Formats: sequence, structure tokens, C-alpha cells
Amino acid sequence: MTPPIRGTGTAVILLLLAALAGCAPFSLVTPERRTVGGAISVEPGMRWNRMEMAPYQGRVEVWTLDGPLLNSLVFFTGVPDGEPLFVSRALASDPKQEKPPVFRSAMNPLEIEELFTATIARNFRTAIVSATNLRPAEVAGTPGFRFETRFVGRDEVERAGVFVGTVRGGKLYGAWFQGARLHYYERYVPEVEKMAASARLVGEAASAR
Amino acid sequence: MTFSRRRFGCALCAMGWLALAGETSAQNLQGAEPGRYLAPGYQPAEGDEKGLWALMDRHERELKGSRFVVRDPAANAYLREVLCRLAERYCADVRVYVVRTPLFNASMAPNGMMEVWTGLLLRCRDEAQLATIIGHELGHYLRRHTLERWRDVRAKADFGIFLGMGLALAGAGWAGSLAQFALLASAFAFSRDQEREADEIGLNLMADAGYAPAATAEVWEQLLAEYQGSSAARDQSFLFATHPLPEERLDTLRKSAVARGGDGERGRARYRERLAALRPTLVADEIGLRQYGRSLIVFEKLLADAPDDGGLWFAKGEVLRLRGDAGDVELALAAYAQAVATGGAPPETWRSIGLVELKAGARDRAEKAFDAYLEAKPGAADREMLKALLSQ
Repeated sequence: MTPPIRGTGTAVILLLLAALAGCAPFSLVTPERRTVGGAISVEPGMRWNRMEMAPYQGRVEVWTLDGPLLNSLVFFTGVPDGEPLFVSRALASDPKQEKPPVFRSAMNPLEIEELFTATIARNFRTAIVSATNLRPAEVAGTPGFRFETRFVGRDEVERAGVFVGTVRGGKLYGAWFQGARLHYYERYVPEVEKMAASARLVGEAASAR
Repeated sequence: MTFSRRRFGCALCAMGWLALAGETSAQNLQGAEPGRYLAPGYQPAEGDEKGLWALMDRHERELKGSRFVVRDPAANAYLREVLCRLAERYCADVRVYVVRTPLFNASMAPNGMMEVWTGLLLRCRDEAQLATIIGHELGHYLRRHTLERWRDVRAKADFGIFLGMGLALAGAGWAGSLAQFALLASAFAFSRDQEREADEIGLNLMADAGYAPAATAEVWEQLLAEYQGSSAARDQSFLFATHPLPEERLDTLRKSAVARGGDGERGRARYRERLAALRPTLVADEIGLRQYGRSLIVFEKLLADAPDDGGLWFAKGEVLRLRGDAGDVELALAAYAQAVATGGAPPETWRSIGLVELKAGARDRAEKAFDAYLEAKPGAADREMLKALLSQ
């Protein structure tokens, strides 16, 4: 297990070590309003860590509280037509991989939910993945949808999560928070919900329909 | 292969099959010279073999608790039955674990732990094909191939360095201890000669047990046909990069089966019946891979054997709907219609028809289909979402 790095001496040591090595893997996110990926404005209620080198490629930004193996918040900052939600770095360079499933502007929430589970199955190399309770919801002040997620990775850890999303101007905006079902997910649900309620689309995303 | 992990004794992954070839001489277990095969009830007394078994025992304890092991009692009992029919005297020495990974693979550890992946169970068309695979794996066990390999690797390389490298690689990302083990185990991929021998033993075991020898070549033919439908860079794929084209080897395998001769049992109906409870999971996991071309080949083969299987028609429709190339919508609707016509379509068939119709702008037909879905599945969690879709 990765040691928790949130608000502890360990985090400071890790960041110091990384700074010495010339590449900080995390940067601190302070609890104040900020814009993610030029598209989503949110106000976190606690201190998060932003991963400078996200483990996934795509229109994403990844935050974590206790380290990415324990929990992570993935922002989707405008996935355009024809692109996957994300591709893990490990898979991206492997020519033996089948082409990843991609987002289409015309997708409805049911299809996005299907795309999401297929994306998890591929990137976390697991068949034990499900999405439930898909329903309409207001997301970042616009009509969107949300659903709950569950998966078990190759490390045998069961992870719970929640996905919120909305399609504006043919692009997908949203966020997925997931964490180890024991403790590391539930503990932060109130924080995540509060942040979701604070979310607003900005820039191109705000004016698109 | 999509996210394939090279496993310990990756005997039936495609590479293993490519190595299969050669003459078939009669090697019935009873007729062999003494000491050629492991004795029933064998336990290593000392030395490196004992250490190797201890390592595998540890892995097996971990595997037993894995969430990926399929607990379906019917499927487990069935595989055990086939195993015992093939090698009754070794029945108590070998444990079969069904592992939920939708890829074609099986493996054999020296201590008698056999893994069969769910992707393999989906692809086998009858019990004779399954017996081919279990027989092949038994061949590795009976001839102690892993021990041979272990000694060979140790003699050739500084194993400590190799192991360290493997574990460092495995430390990246999501690799758990099982995955680390897989990397370590890839050091023991069986040699071509061992694969050839296991194949020979497998063929003899299954034919002696009364199965149709022709099934041995078929398993490989099917896998090869499936690879033709892959979107992955074929010339980069390990299957074609490291081995010569397999036609000649397939030919040898066919000849071996003919030489062994005779008809035999297929057990097609029994195979379908005994794995029936597991099949929806096998099908759903295959769809989830989003390897459209390959999945279509797999489902079409299965449909050729079972044209009255509504679940398989639905699966074919799903692959087409999800691929969404030009013309796929019509083909998907045709497959869903076939599913409905069998009288055994899963409720989700109507939901998918509704999704396709809605996309095509046929709101009335979509609404009718969603109603049929909700009637067939009153507790459906997506009821509200479907209503919202219709009202947009």
C-alpha cells in the first residue's frame, strides 16, 4: 500500500525528494476556487494533490488525497468526438492493444456509461467492473447525469466511485471520484459532493450548448 | 492480445499452440516406461523441486482467495469431471481454478494447480475441445515441465538479477502480488519441445477417454481465425513476430489427429448445458473487451452451433451497435430481431433496440422498445434515465 501523503510529514518528504530529483509528481491544491483544464471551475474544501504526470493520457487532470492507489479524482475537461476517455500510459505505447473505445458527440448517458465501464475494463485489466443507478442530474449548472461505479483491479482491491458528466458543444465534461471501498472512498464523499455542487463550466464549455 | 498477462506456463496461449507440432507416437500413460510420468500422489521430498512446489503452494493460497476465481459450482464440478475422465489416477492431485479473465489461456503449475481462463471457456465449442486443453495441461504436469524449465533457466542466467528486474517492472501501476507472480512466472514459459510433448500427451489422453481427436486441431483453427479479425498491429503481435506462419504446424496437428484416428464423442450439448449459468458472464465480459472484429468471429462461430440461443444473438447485436460503423445499425437491429425470435432474448435486447431506434430518430419505436424492456425487467435501475432520453 502506498503511504497516505495528505497533510502529513510524508507528503512533505515526498515532495522534497521529488523537487530534489527535478520533477515534482504532485503539486498542492489549496482549498480555494480554481479552474481545471481551462474548462471546469471548482472550489475544493480541503487540500488535494494534483498529479503532474497523470497515469492516464487524455483530456484529463488527476487529483488525489491519499495517493492514486487509494483514491483519485479524474476531471474530464472536454473529451472531443473520436477520443477515448483516457488511456493508461502503460497501454498507450503497446502496439498489441486493440484500438480503445472512443467517445462520440452523439452519445447519450447510457452509451457514455457503457464507454466508461469498457474504459475501466481495459485500463485496469479487469472484467469485474460495473456501473449502476444511472440517472439524470444537474452537473456544473447544466443538465447532465451521474452513476455509481465499482471495480476490482489486478491488485484485488475493490474500489467504489461516482461519475458525473455532461456533454456541451459535443464534448464531454465531468469527473470521476474513486477510492478503495473500505474507508478511502466513503470518507471523502461529502467533500466530493460539495465540490461537485460548486462546479461551473468556464470558457468554451460555458458558452457551448 | 488485449491486456494479456504472460502467465506461469502459458501453455495454451497462442505462442504455446504455435510450438505444437511433431510426430504422434503412442504414449498411453499405462504403456510408458517406468518413471516417465509423475506417479499418482507424488510429493517432492527435497531439493529445488520441493522449493518450487512451496512457491506454487503459496501462490495457490492467494489464488484461492482471489475475487477473480469463478465460484459457480456447476462449472467447477464440470471441469473436474472432465479432468477425472482424462486422468482418473491423477484426479486427486490436480486442482482446476476457473479464472475470470476474458482471454484464451490455461496454465499448469508443477504442484497440480491448473488455471483455466473464462475467455477459453467461451471459445470452446464442445467438451472434446475443452478435454484437449485440459489434457495438454496435464501433459505439462505429468512430465514435470516446470521443474525442467526452472533448472534450465537457473543454469543459463543469474536468476537473482532476472527476478529483480521482473519485480521492479511489476511494481509499476496496478500490479498486485498476483501480477508480480505472473511476471516471475513468465520466466518459465514452456519450450517448444515441451509444448510439442504436452500436445502429444493431451491428444492421447483425450482420444483414450473417447473424445474425437479432430477437436485438437479445431481449437487452434478457431483461435487463428479470430486473430484475423483483430485491429491490433498484426505484424507487431507476438503471435506472428516470433514464429513462422502457423499453417504448416496446423497441418501437422491435423495429421496427428487423423493418425490417432477414429471418431469420438463431442459432448456439445453437455458442454453448453453444464456451463449455462456461467455463459451470460462469459458473453458480457467478451463484449466489454471492445474488440469488435474478434468478438463477432467468436459469436458467429458459437451461433453456428446454437442458432436458437437468444443471448448469443443479443451479444452479436451489441458488438455491432457498439462498433457503430456504417451499416452496423441495420445489422444490429437484425441480430436483435433474431434474438427476440428465439423467444429467449435477455430483457436488455429491448433496451438496445430502443437505443438504436432513438438514435435513428424513430421515437415511437424507441418508446415501445423501452416499454417492453421495463415490462420484462420491472426493477430496472435506468427507468428514469430512459424516460429522460425520450423526453429530450
